Amino acid sequence: MIENTHIPQQDLSLYAMQALSLDEQAAVKAHLGACETCRAELALIMGDLALVAMSAEQHPLPEGARERFLERIGADRAGVDPIGSALAVSQKVVSIADGLAQKPRTRRAAAWIPWTAVAALLLVAFGLGIKLHLANIELEQQAARLASEAGVNQRAREVLDVLTAPAAQHILLTAGSPRPAPSARAVYVASRGALVLEASNLAQIDSGKTYELWVIPANGKAPIPAGIFRPDAAGSASVVLPQIPAGVEAKAFGITIEPAAGSSAPTLPIVLAGAPTSAGE
Amino acid sequence: MTEDPSNPLEPLERSLNSGSTSPGSAEPETGDAALINGVLQRDQAAMAAIFDRYGRMVYSVALRVLKEPAAAEDVMQQIFFEVWETPRNFVAGRGSLAGWLAVVARNRAVDVLRRRKPSDPVEEVELAADTNLAADAERNIMMEKVRTHLDTLPRDQQDQVQLAFFEGLSHSEISAQTGVPLGTVKTRIRSALISLREAVQA
Repeated sequence: MIENTHIPQQDLSLYAMQALSLDEQAAVKAHLGACETCRAELALIMGDLALVAMSAEQHPLPEGARERFLERIGADRAGVDPIGSALAVSQKVVSIADGLAQKPRTRRAAAWIPWTAVAALLLVAFGLGIKLHLANIELEQQAARLASEAGVNQRAREVLDVLTAPAAQHILLTAGSPRPAPSARAVYVASRGALVLEASNLAQIDSGKTYELWVIPANGKAPIPAGIFRPDAAGSASVVLPQIPAGVEAKAFGITIEPAAGSSAPTLPIVLAGAPTSAGE
Repeated sequence: MTEDPSNPLEPLERSLNSGSTSPGSAEPETGDAALINGVLQRDQAAMAAIFDRYGRMVYSVALRVLKEPAAAEDVMQQIFFEVWETPRNFVAGRGSLAGWLAVVARNRAVDVLRRRKPSDPVEEVELAADTNLAADAERNIMMEKVRTHLDTLPRDQQDQVQLAFFEGLSHSEISAQTGVPLGTVKTRIRSALISLREAVQA
């Protein structure tokens, strides 16, 4: 992307999809500001992207969505009107006052002027008061929403704290077999790249070794490392939200034993493995 | 740059609006421009008509990206509210209202998905041609044509367009995730869009 030449089409496509890095995005944006040719090309690409967007499978609107929208624009209009209405009313009051003042004329008419001004100011203040009241109501609603969301976040944090607390005891209830086999349970949301793993009854390993979790992509690409971990004295361990890319459909998950720093490719044997039983999202 | 500056939507408009060639594509009673003018006059009925016409499409695009109905509805409600609040941001020459709404819906949904601030003000989104896709029949035909073409692309190319467009991944993220070189990702996405443009022109 050089200042004196046009932006390559492929970079413009990525720019239109906000798929460039921030630096590249800024460079393209600066060029577009001065280049009509590239702006025209970008507009064409936007047309292409509109086509891609419209290829999305169509779904019916959620129940009540239309009513919620109409209510919102109705409330918006009501929220704008108080000041306008007050001003309109104040203008009417002024004109009525003017009409009344026309009979006595001269100095009596002049005497009405400050009163009409006061009346107009009072009505404007009244209008502003209504506006302020509506703003306060909205503020209270937002505060309630935030409080509700904070409660949900707090609950999520508590769940995570319990799952990951060093002092947590992990108890597996079984039908009485003397020594349960190692096992792990993974929860995975491919679209978000979110993964939580809870393992039990893992065998202890040397200090120079670690367990490592792997996501095996469904598209046949190389396994993606998804976190290293060591079991506690009871053989329990967890991996919570490791840094993995979003959007990877998983064919399977595996756990291997690797050098303490972890590996970029799994070392056989795979000590635990499992495949998703459903497509999830 | 592009040798052929024509927009892919134009031939469709010609073919669908030519009456005898497309008897099923009835012109809507009120055009988009008239409805936007109504919104400029603070006409709630005009705004409701725009919502009725495009609400489902905008919601579906947002849902495709976010996969959560509540979040998709939030995006949809906000976009239409912005149309209501600042209808001047959509002016003649900015492209079809349908296309504009579809692109803004995708961008806003990706912003939510990536937990980032709205990146582009709506007034910066501009499409090349003012094309009439206001009738359901026209949009449905267009959607089907696009879907059919996208299905014909090689699987890798489909995946990369989907990752960039609906998952909002950057080209470097796509390259890292798929193991495909950066330059190849760029080329495939661009060629997919070009072939799509040619397909709807055909």
